[in-house]
Amino acid sequence: MNPDLYILWAAAIATLGVYTILYRENPISRLFEHIFVGLSAGYLIVATWTLNLEGKWWNPMIHDKKWYWIFAPIVGSLFYFIYSRRLGWLARLIMGLFFGTAAGTFFRQFFPIYSPQIYACFKPLDYQAGMGIQGVIFDLLLHNWIFVIILLTVMSYFFFSIPHEGRFGRNLGRSAMLGRWFLMIAFGAMFGNTVMARISLFIGRMQFLLKDWLGSLIPWFATRGL
Amino acid sequence: MWFSRLLQRLFPPAPTPAALYLYLALAVVGSIVIIVALHRLLGPRGRRWLIAFVTFIAGLFFGLEYFYPVHGDPAKNFLTDWIEPVSVMLTVVGAFTVGLGIYSLLQVHGRNLVQRRPGWHNSLAFFLATFAMLVFGMWEYYLHLPQPPPAVVPWPKGIYEILFNGLFAPLQAATFSLLAFYIASAAYRAFRVRTGEAALMMAAAFIVMIGQVPIGAWLTSFIPADSPAAFFRLEMLGEWVLRWLNTPAQRGIIFGIAVGALAMSLRIWLSLERGTFFSEKG
Amino acid sequence: MSAPRPTTVSDRIQQIPRHYVYLLLAGVVVWQLLFPIRLPITPSVPTRGVYDAVAAVPDDKLIIITTDWDASTQAETGPQTQAVIHACFQNHKKFVIMNLQPPMGVKLAQDLAEEAAQEYGAVYGVDYANWGYKYGYENVLMAMAKNIPNAIGDDFYGKPVGELPLMQGVEDIQAIGLVVIVTGLSAMTEMWVGLIQGPYRTPLAGAYTAVMAPIYYPYLDSDQLKGMLVGAKGAAELEAMVDRPGKAVAIMNVQSWAHVLIIALILLGNLGYLFARGRGEGSQP
Repeated sequence: MNPDLYILWAAAIATLGVYTILYRENPISRLFEHIFVGLSAGYLIVATWTLNLEGKWWNPMIHDKKWYWIFAPIVGSLFYFIYSRRLGWLARLIMGLFFGTAAGTFFRQFFPIYSPQIYACFKPLDYQAGMGIQGVIFDLLLHNWIFVIILLTVMSYFFFSIPHEGRFGRNLGRSAMLGRWFLMIAFGAMFGNTVMARISLFIGRMQFLLKDWLGSLIPWFATRGL
Repeated sequence: MWFSRLLQRLFPPAPTPAALYLYLALAVVGSIVIIVALHRLLGPRGRRWLIAFVTFIAGLFFGLEYFYPVHGDPAKNFLTDWIEPVSVMLTVVGAFTVGLGIYSLLQVHGRNLVQRRPGWHNSLAFFLATFAMLVFGMWEYYLHLPQPPPAVVPWPKGIYEILFNGLFAPLQAATFSLLAFYIASAAYRAFRVRTGEAALMMAAAFIVMIGQVPIGAWLTSFIPADSPAAFFRLEMLGEWVLRWLNTPAQRGIIFGIAVGALAMSLRIWLSLERGTFFSEKG
Repeated sequence: MSAPRPTTVSDRIQQIPRHYVYLLLAGVVVWQLLFPIRLPITPSVPTRGVYDAVAAVPDDKLIIITTDWDASTQAETGPQTQAVIHACFQNHKKFVIMNLQPPMGVKLAQDLAEEAAQEYGAVYGVDYANWGYKYGYENVLMAMAKNIPNAIGDDFYGKPVGELPLMQGVEDIQAIGLVVIVTGLSAMTEMWVGLIQGPYRTPLAGAYTAVMAPIYYPYLDSDQLKGMLVGAKGAAELEAMVDRPGKAVAIMNVQSWAHVLIIALILLGNLGYLFARGRGEGSQP
């Protein structure tokens, strides 16, 4: 069996079916949403078994006769007591194990992640040999000053527990206001990138519809170099 | 290590298939006995203490192994050799939680179907899709086809490819591609420059949006790349905004998140947190 | 109750029906896909960092490409993965694909790898492999750092990874020369940095959707990431570097005009708002 043609048409119909929601909510798009959720649930089970449980649990337990692996599903099944009011504490027991693991793992990761970040904040603020002049106005020294000022003002914005009263508080307030302006620049940059990301997703789908699907029906579309 | 030798004595592999099934049955029965005993013997306070103890030990194990001094070649401490088997065991235990979300979905859609609620045919489609992916996904896997797969494949593999590449992936891609329309409409309707901060945000957004795409580079391509004014080429300006204005601001946000996450992790590890999960009555 | 019909010019400017906006966007995209105005793409410094990181991997070490993405971000992360795979094959570097979440990514990435492997005559298990989806997040990484075959178990096709030819001599994280994180999910990079790059100094490079990329510039600055691909733009730049222009290059051609449209719409909306404010009417939703 060569499924390529069926795949092509199924994908095209599914894509167009989802796009009907752009006009208004309708039974076709709702049907495809439910199909998607069902496929997702089925695939999750398949992937969990074939790529995790079979190799790491079933084969060692049954083929290598390492019988102690039976404790894994017994312990894992404690999660399902979340649905029981009387025995719900057993689910919290196993969740506590995983929460504790997550906390301990975060302690392990904290210094490797953040100490290089802290170290990288200390940029040279005085002119040093070898810095070089990269432009008439904007050289590395000026960049470092800009970097440090933005960093400190943004961090000062997050000191919510210090009131902006008194001499120190008022200065902190001014710094926080400046930090908020710099945050707006960062959010603007994120917004610009978000627009690019979202539109990329649509362009990707249109590439499929025009080149792959319509291109199989009308060769002109396939020659457009999409 | 004496503890690992003790464990190997207590849990050696079963010598025969019959012994294996006997050990499995005994383990299951024994575990049920222990769970029932814990449930009967421990009151609400005891259960909270047990949960807090398990949480603490789990966090202590991973944290202590990182901080405890190491020695030798390769450098390790008394806990290092346990990281790998404990981590593997936790991944397997965690994999069994796949049923939690599936059960909720089955419950909701099953109720729709049995009670013939409006839209029950959508729930039927859900069940058919789940069942089809489950059956053909497993079937395709156990065919153990050669790599690379041939152009003409067995029909179960063909059905699986139709379900995956024909429905699953395109449906997800199409659903998320709708965001392009929504962001266009939302940006047009809601992005209003009412304050100076909004104006700054809009200016930064425009510079980054145009600087990231080829037309931005083309618009300012008349500025020589090696001249002092090259800074004003839109692609350089966009990269400058991201590298020198966005980066320190994001780092400030990262530090705020880091401190908050550290505090939260400490509270969870020490069972100081209160909330729906943490403050139950037992 | 429907919204009141626009009466003034400023109202009309601010209340173009959404279906017209949708049609405009779709029209611009279709126009540029069918009649592209091709503009040159120049690789940026972060993208060069990714390519240089791949080229710098010693020949006796593996590259891990983590494909923590699914069809929802496929338009960006698919071409990124494909370009990285081409870079690996062209530089004769062996690589493995793996995934911590979501499960779909390994199948989509495997399809891309098979397609590229045919072009270079690469053989599965010898030149590249797929470790598959591994549930467990940090636990998988901590186990991998000590013992990769035990941590991974079976590959994508159910074969124990230790039996694959390219896994000979691969025991722990010291055998890995580079990890390229291709993802649309947050928190993945932090796990790899905290558990692999930091403690074991394994080089990392990132390939992110454009939404996430600004968040990871600090990691570039602190040298925790050697390079970064930013959405379809980064993918297009790497495609240009490996001389395999593909979907990402086409996407970026269209992006230009789509961005111009979005900017025009925002300016139009603000123009209407200014008119309305001049008349004392305020903005309309």
